[in-house]
Amino acid sequence: TVMQVSVINTVDTSHEDMIHDAQMDYYGTRLATCSSDRTVKIFDVRNGGQILVADLRGHEGPVWQVAWAHPMYGNILASCSYDRKVIVWKEENGSWDKMYEYTGHESSMNSVCWGPYDFGLILACGSSDGAISLLTFTGEQQWDVKKISNAHTIGCNAVSWAPAVVPGSLVDQPSGQKPNYVKRFVSGGCDNLVKLWKEEDGQWKEDQKLEAHSDWVRDVGWAPSIGLPTSTIASCSQDGRVFIWTCEDPTGNTWTPKLLHKFVDVVWHVSWSITGNILAVSGGDNKVTLWKESMDGQWACISDVSKGQGAVSSITDTQQSEQ
Amino acid sequence: MAARWSSENVVVEFRDAQATAMSVDCLGLHAVLSGRRFLYVVNLENPSEAPRKISRQSKWDVGTVQWNPHRAQSRVFAASSNQRVDLYTWKDGFGEVHASLQGHTRVISDLDWSWFEAEYLVSSSVDTYIYIWDTRDPRKPLVALSAVAGASQVKWNRKNQNVLASSHDGDVRIWDRRKPNTAVEYVAAHLSKIHGLDWHPDNEYILATSSQDNSVRFWDYRQPRKCLNILSCQVPVWKARYTPFSHGLVTVMVPQLRRENSLLLWSTLDLNSPVHAFVGHDDVVLEFQWRPQKEGSKDCQLVTWSRDQTLRIWRVDPQLQKLCANDTVEELLEGVALSMEPERTQSSQDLEPQQSTAPLAEDLHDPEQAALGSSGAPQTLQQEFSLVNLQIRNVNVEMDALNRSCVVSAHLGSHQVRLVVKFPAHYPNNAVPTFQFVSPTSIPSAMRTKIQKILTDTSLQKVKRNQNCLEPCVRQLMSCLESDMTQEDGPPASPYVLSNPVTPALPAFPRVTNTYGSYQDANIPFPRTSGARFCGTGCLVYFTRPNTMHRSVPASEPTPRSLSALSAYHSGVLTPMKMRTESQSTLRLYSGSPTRSDKDTVSISSFYYKERKPPMSALRRWSVQTIHDYPKSRRFKTKREGSDSSNRPIKLAGKVIIQEISCLLPVHRALGESYILNVSDIQDTCQKNAAAALVVGRRDVAKVWALASAATSQDLGPDPDPDIDTPWARHPFGRHLLETLLDHYSQMSDVQTLAMLCSVFRAQGPPDAPCGQQLPRSALLPHHSRYPSFTSSSLTSGSCSSTSDSVPVTPWNTATGRDSEHGGPWGESSPDDYRYGNQAYSDPREREREQHDMNKRLLDPTHVLQFDDFKKCYGEILHRWGLKEKRADVLKFTSCPPEPHKGIEFGVFCCHCRSQARGTQCEVCRRLTFQCAVCHVAVRGASNFCLSCSHGGHTSHMMDWFSRHDQCPAGCGCHCLQQSTY
Repeated sequence: TVMQVSVINTVDTSHEDMIHDAQMDYYGTRLATCSSDRTVKIFDVRNGGQILVADLRGHEGPVWQVAWAHPMYGNILASCSYDRKVIVWKEENGSWDKMYEYTGHESSMNSVCWGPYDFGLILACGSSDGAISLLTFTGEQQWDVKKISNAHTIGCNAVSWAPAVVPGSLVDQPSGQKPNYVKRFVSGGCDNLVKLWKEEDGQWKEDQKLEAHSDWVRDVGWAPSIGLPTSTIASCSQDGRVFIWTCEDPTGNTWTPKLLHKFVDVVWHVSWSITGNILAVSGGDNKVTLWKESMDGQWACISDVSKGQGAVSSITDTQQSEQ
Repeated sequence: MAARWSSENVVVEFRDAQATAMSVDCLGLHAVLSGRRFLYVVNLENPSEAPRKISRQSKWDVGTVQWNPHRAQSRVFAASSNQRVDLYTWKDGFGEVHASLQGHTRVISDLDWSWFEAEYLVSSSVDTYIYIWDTRDPRKPLVALSAVAGASQVKWNRKNQNVLASSHDGDVRIWDRRKPNTAVEYVAAHLSKIHGLDWHPDNEYILATSSQDNSVRFWDYRQPRKCLNILSCQVPVWKARYTPFSHGLVTVMVPQLRRENSLLLWSTLDLNSPVHAFVGHDDVVLEFQWRPQKEGSKDCQLVTWSRDQTLRIWRVDPQLQKLCANDTVEELLEGVALSMEPERTQSSQDLEPQQSTAPLAEDLHDPEQAALGSSGAPQTLQQEFSLVNLQIRNVNVEMDALNRSCVVSAHLGSHQVRLVVKFPAHYPNNAVPTFQFVSPTSIPSAMRTKIQKILTDTSLQKVKRNQNCLEPCVRQLMSCLESDMTQEDGPPASPYVLSNPVTPALPAFPRVTNTYGSYQDANIPFPRTSGARFCGTGCLVYFTRPNTMHRSVPASEPTPRSLSALSAYHSGVLTPMKMRTESQSTLRLYSGSPTRSDKDTVSISSFYYKERKPPMSALRRWSVQTIHDYPKSRRFKTKREGSDSSNRPIKLAGKVIIQEISCLLPVHRALGESYILNVSDIQDTCQKNAAAALVVGRRDVAKVWALASAATSQDLGPDPDPDIDTPWARHPFGRHLLETLLDHYSQMSDVQTLAMLCSVFRAQGPPDAPCGQQLPRSALLPHHSRYPSFTSSSLTSGSCSSTSDSVPVTPWNTATGRDSEHGGPWGESSPDDYRYGNQAYSDPREREREQHDMNKRLLDPTHVLQFDDFKKCYGEILHRWGLKEKRADVLKFTSCPPEPHKGIEFGVFCCHCRSQARGTQCEVCRRLTFQCAVCHVAVRGASNFCLSCSHGGHTSHMMDWFSRHDQCPAGCGCHCLQQSTY
């Protein structure tokens, strides 16, 4: 079967400089983009439309990344920038305003990621100063700040939360109790390392250090869980490699890397599909490729989404046709 | 470096103005914006009020507009339009042309009102003439200066009423209006076009020029071959103007990127980095002027007009002003350079005699300035010695405060210097120390003299302001020695330039890098210019670098890893481009707006160069783009006409594409909508779901539903009696088959099928009692209660009913309550223990039945939590699809509700010892905590109490009491029934 992947919207952001991130909200109704022009824009993209909802100005340098919070906390967006700031924006009565501005770092803020909603409104931020901050909304305009100093020597480039489902501990967990969620996230940095962090008694501790990359780790992505007792993380690097790390060990101590592919140029970004079985990879070669694990555990490229911008690619999905 | 970005305090948009020029009147009340169809007069006191309009009939844009700077003529402004100058009078909210000056034969490039004679206006033109008009007689110019070359700028000297300067390509000419035939001085200022010219506000001889050659240069026109100082920028400089406060300079660059529209404020004393950036304009800044200060106001206000059609007013507070005048070593260079002026040039003698023989440096520092500069009281010599920072390489300073002297020893290469500095008694109160070289100083005597003079001047600068001078002198000494060293190698060059080495090239982000660029910023990763994210449920959002942007390095070379690595790519790529675009921009100089060339960029995008397509294709590409464009980019469409297509801005931001990729996912929204979960008719549910799966083309899932239908058929239903036969679940096609299926769909990540199967098979199991109701004993199955404990206590304490045996201490949160009681033993036991039941059953038959209950279930009860997670994850996806009811349907089948209800837990204070207790028995005094207000007996069982007065007792007693009374039985007077609800 040839499956058709269709372009449902092409949004002209009118950003005045290069775009660095684009992300839709939980329901897929709104698109947030950020750019070197120092702005963050929000578009209503329902029904193929593209209505500019907000043009958020507040950053004083290029904005690298945006992140939508879970809608149960309202319409909240975080952005991080070269200007060393993280800004949390919130929509109230139809207008977007700064909800919080965090300036606790000494260098560019490279990555922001909201934790699973089960943990409350919690944001992890990685900075070029090597530290990672965890900002927890405690109500009444208050944010609790926890900082992991020197998380990555030279700089932290990416953070990504583990799903609240803790698959590894499921089997052991006494049934009937509220699962004892452990807050965990993964980070990648200029020390070529992927690091796993775990909260214990309110303190963040380094849990694992995963070594495989030979250059700066540019992005990490913890795969969403569908309830299986396996954890999966993707990491990509300046070295052009993308690794898929899996852990089937319930204690979470044994992580095995598998090379997805070695690209010619830097790989900047990895993103998991909602069911955690497809990985989107993008990088310096200006291409977006989709990868899927076959039943026998091999990763295969199933499409090259952007040979040129706007190109619609049709995808032959062998996996699907087998069904 | 100060980073104050919030100084902008007024932003007003004039969407339709399309103004090309702007001017602020001398009272600071109005700004005039000149559009093609109207001139708009903005009330600066209240800029947001609608501007008054003066309509004009011309097919030409206004080139320059200038208010008369004299109070007497404050209502008059001049506007040039092609070859003509129109003089407007603005009165009582209305404006009209009262005179026109016609004389130029080609387009007028600049206008300037005299600072001395209110009626005198000078105009420059491409027609090579510069006309001085007495506006009282508009018929012909008063004076015509013949320049042979077309002029781009003309400016009156601010101190000398006869002197003017004009710019012609890269040259500056100084005119004495009494000698119209020839310029009195030529300054070959720049190698390429001069865009801006500004006289020093206080010094008659000094002017600043800004040029296409990426620099601002400072000149004393008496030394036309020596540039006083250079401000190197990496981009062409459109305008550089002195500020009304001392030592400030504001520049506007010709933007290389649409983003880089900041105005930069510099201190002329330290050109290494800007003092401040005025950030906010979204497009090219077309004009900026200082609004005259109100009396008593210490703030200065900068009024700017940009192609983004906004007028902004920026407050420059005294602190920021002071930053321009801050004391740095570099400050001396200006003074040194000026005072080293060897002999006056011939030409300047032709000008009006001035008392300019005094050291220029003195002119530069007015008394006010001196007051500003001296921060803190002058120090004694002893203090100076103890605080001085002389951690300078190759230098050793021995200080002797007692004898008021010190010895500076330095060696640099082959040179050796030993300098004795003696401080007079009054130092530093306007008393200069003496400098004397002693042996073994090895530098030539000419150089000694030179250095001695520099040091004396340097110290003079300082002591005049009662400031210490040792440290600046030592640093100056070293810099002189160093520059001399370099001179020895190369051709002799101007010491001024050397001592202030042509500023370290402005980094890629002139503004940002200067502010933030620290060692911490050295490893900022190279920004992503493409990216893809899965969003929502079935979308892929991605963006890539636009097709028009190409990498400036061969594809074989990898993208740099850090932002700072970028500068390496600059120089090589950009140079050839600069040459090419230069000629193009000159054409547009006279339109009154900065050139926007799409020349190669100075930013992160500089790694990529923009494609230069042949005009035709470029044209086509552009026309396509404009359709999607916001009106903004069309505003100046007219201006773009006729200009080279390569001058059009090229989009740096590509489009963001949203792709529907649901077909790649194992879950289907259509199925989410059509799947049903009907507990009362499982067979029907399976059949309908099979049909639904077929509709979306999931034949595999349809088959699974058929199997599910078969497996749940009534004839396979397990017999309640364990002795009759083995339950179907134990059959290979029973639980085993189901497990195989779950395994398969797990590998496919098909959480939809997984969750639905788990729900259906749970529903198919023995009849469930809804959670939260009192359970019959037979319902105490693991699949229902999440609680593995089979002890009878779970029955008695584990209900969610509203009355319990130990009110008010029963935890209402049943989950936590049970955890504390039974979590322990289970935590230590393995699933096997659980499965085979290690608890002591009094009746073996009961145990057997429990076993049977387990066995007959198709879903392995030990994996209940995992099945719950399938449902939870699927529920999350349904939620994203907006199918909340379907989500609720699925979550009903989880063994534990998704969010355990957190109720209110009542605590009591023991009625005997007042300590806080969490049960019927006080842990401190071991007595029962709560007494009934009616019978005064401790309450063990059900109780009620008033939330207001906290009295209460046995439920039956309370019911009884309140059926007859309103007030509290304790006699506290509380109307419990009204205060709280039992």
